Amino acid sequence: MKGNVIKYDRDNIDTDVIIPGQYLKVHDYAELATHAMEGLDPDFHSKVKEGDFILSGKNFGSGSSREHAPIALSHSGVKAILALSFARIFYRNSVDGAFLLPIEIGQDAYDGISDGDELDIDITRNEIKNLSTNQSYKMKPFSEIIGKIIEAGGLFKYKPELD
Amino acid sequence: MGKTLFEKIWESHIVVEKQNQPALIYIDRHLVHEVTSPQAFDGLRMNDRKVRRPDLTIATMDHNVPTNDRSLPILDQTSAIQIKTLEKNCEDFGIKLFDINSPNQGIVHVIGPQLGITLPGTTIVCGDSHTSTHGAFGALALGIGTSDVEHVLASQTLWLEKPKTFEVRVEGKRRNPHAVTAKDIILSIIKNIGTAGGTGTVIEYRGEGITDLSMEQRMTICNMSIEGGARAGLIAPDQKTFDYLRNREYTPKNYESLVDFWKKNLKTDPDATFDKTFVLDINEIAPQVSWGTNPGMTCDVDESIPSPDEFSNGDANQKKGAEKALEYMALDSGTMIEDIKIDRVFIGSCTNARLEDLIEASKVIQGQKVASNVNAMVVPGSQMVKKQAEEMGLDKIFIDANFEWREAGCSMCLGMNPDILSPGERCASTSNRNFEGRQGNGGRTHLVSPVMAAAAAINGHFVDVRKLDLN
Repeated sequence: MKGNVIKYDRDNIDTDVIIPGQYLKVHDYAELATHAMEGLDPDFHSKVKEGDFILSGKNFGSGSSREHAPIALSHSGVKAILALSFARIFYRNSVDGAFLLPIEIGQDAYDGISDGDELDIDITRNEIKNLSTNQSYKMKPFSEIIGKIIEAGGLFKYKPELD
Repeated sequence: MGKTLFEKIWESHIVVEKQNQPALIYIDRHLVHEVTSPQAFDGLRMNDRKVRRPDLTIATMDHNVPTNDRSLPILDQTSAIQIKTLEKNCEDFGIKLFDINSPNQGIVHVIGPQLGITLPGTTIVCGDSHTSTHGAFGALALGIGTSDVEHVLASQTLWLEKPKTFEVRVEGKRRNPHAVTAKDIILSIIKNIGTAGGTGTVIEYRGEGITDLSMEQRMTICNMSIEGGARAGLIAPDQKTFDYLRNREYTPKNYESLVDFWKKNLKTDPDATFDKTFVLDINEIAPQVSWGTNPGMTCDVDESIPSPDEFSNGDANQKKGAEKALEYMALDSGTMIEDIKIDRVFIGSCTNARLEDLIEASKVIQGQKVASNVNAMVVPGSQMVKKQAEEMGLDKIFIDANFEWREAGCSMCLGMNPDILSPGERCASTSNRNFEGRQGNGGRTHLVSPVMAAAAAINGHFVDVRKLDLN
C-alpha cells in the first residue's frame, strides 16, 4: 500500500474537527468527504489525493461516536491513519465499517516521517517504509481480532467460530 | 480472586467467548436517535433483516431538533428529513419512539433513566458517545458507531474486546457542595488523567466522594467518562439508585425482587483488583473552568491560564496543542479566569440539564438579571424535566432574569441544530466538549457547572461561586 503523507503535528484530533456537527445530516458520502477535516484544515479537501495517509499524534479521533468521521476521511481517499494512539470508538468504527486502517506507530516513525513523504505500508509484515528518506519503521501489529475483521472486510463479513 | 463490578456484568452477558476472539455480548437495551441510525436501518432493509428485539429498542429525537416553539415547522430541511426518517424507521420496524411532540421526548441519556429504561446490571448501547451516562446506575453502557448500531439492531448482540478496568477513587468531602459540583469533580479527574487516560478501560468511580452524590450528579460524572477516553464509566448501585428507579413509567413489575438481586450481586468484591487506579481528593477542590480546546485543558476558577510550558510538562505535542488552543480561544497565558468576559451562556446537554442542575442554577440568578451584553439560554434535558421545572416555577426565575427558556434537545452542545455560536463568540457552557467549532464554527467554549454558568451570565464574566451564598 503506497501513498503520501499529510501530517498534522498535534495530539487529540477530535471527531468534531474531522467532520463538524453541522454535516452529520449529510447522507451522501461524496458530499460528506468535501467537508472532511474542515474544522482543522479548510484546505484538506483540495490537497488530499486517493491513497493518501494521515499522520498525527496521540488520541486521534477522540470525542463523538459519529461514523461520519472515518467515512468522510475514507471517501476523501484516505486509506490509513498513522497515529501514536487512537480513541477507541473511532478506531472501532474505522475497522468495523472497513473504512480505513487505523495504524498505531511509535515515536520514531512519528518523528521520522514528514508531511508529503511517500510511504509503502506492508501490514502483513507490520512495516512502514519511508520511500522519501529510505528509512523503515515498525507499526504496532493489529490484535488478532482486529486483524481478522480487517481481513474479512469489516464486521459484517467477519465470521467468527461460534461453537 | 474477587471480581470487579464490570467483570460481573460482562460475564453475565457473554453469549460466546473464545480465546483470541472478541466476546459476543448480549445487549439489554438499545437506545436510538435520528443522527446515527438512518444508515443502520438502510443496512437492515438491504439485507432483508428485521430488528431482533424491537421490545428492547427505544428511540427519540434529540440531536437536531429545534428547541424553540414546537408548533412551528422545522425550517432546516435536512434536519426535517432525518427526523421524518426516524419516524418511518420506527414505524417500519416496530420500535417505540418518543417523537418531537411526546411528553417523554428529550436527550436520550436524560430520558432513559427518567423512564426507568436504564437498569442496574444491564448492558446498554446507543450510537452516541455519551451513552456512558447510564453507568451511573451500575449499567455497562457503551457508545457505538453506526455499523455496530446495525449489528445490535439485527442481532441484539455486539462483538467486544474485553476492556481493562480502571478504578477512580474519589475521596473526601466537598466543603461547599453547592459551589463545587459533580461537574467540577469530573473535570478535575480529566484534568489529571488526561483525555486519553482512560483509553481501552471501563472506569469504576468509587469512594465517599461518589457515594455522597445524588443520582443526577452521578450521571454527570459517568457522562464525561468518554472525555477521559474511557469506553464506559460505572458506579455501583446503592439505595439511592434503587429509590430513584422505583415507580418510573418503565420500571419492571418485579422491581423489589430485582433490587434484592442487585444488592447481592452488583458490587466489586473487596479482594478484586483493577488494572489501574487514580485517586482524587476533593476536600479542597475548586470550581473548574476549561480554557482550551479539550476537556483536559481545565483549571481552577481562582487560577490564571497556564503557559503552554507549564501545561505540557515538556511534551512537545502537548505544548503545541496548548499554543493552538490559546490562539483559537483568543486567550493569553497568565489571564485570570475571573477576568474572562463571555457573550453567551448555555445551560443544557446530557451532562447538565437535569432538574437538580436547573434548581442549583436558579438559586444563583433569583432576583437578578443577565448582564446586558450576555445572551443566556436554558434548555431542559427532556420535556419531563421541563415540566417538573415549570411546576416548581423555575421557568419564571430564568425568564425574569432574561434567560431564554427552551424545549428539550441537545441544542447548543454540538452545533447541528439552530442553536449555535457565531464565530468568535465566547460561551460559558454546561456541556461536555470544548473542541474547536463544537458549538458552531469559530465558537469558543468554556466548560463549567450549571452554577458557574449561571453566575457568569449575571456577571458577564466568570466568578468564583464559592464566594456566593448558595444555601
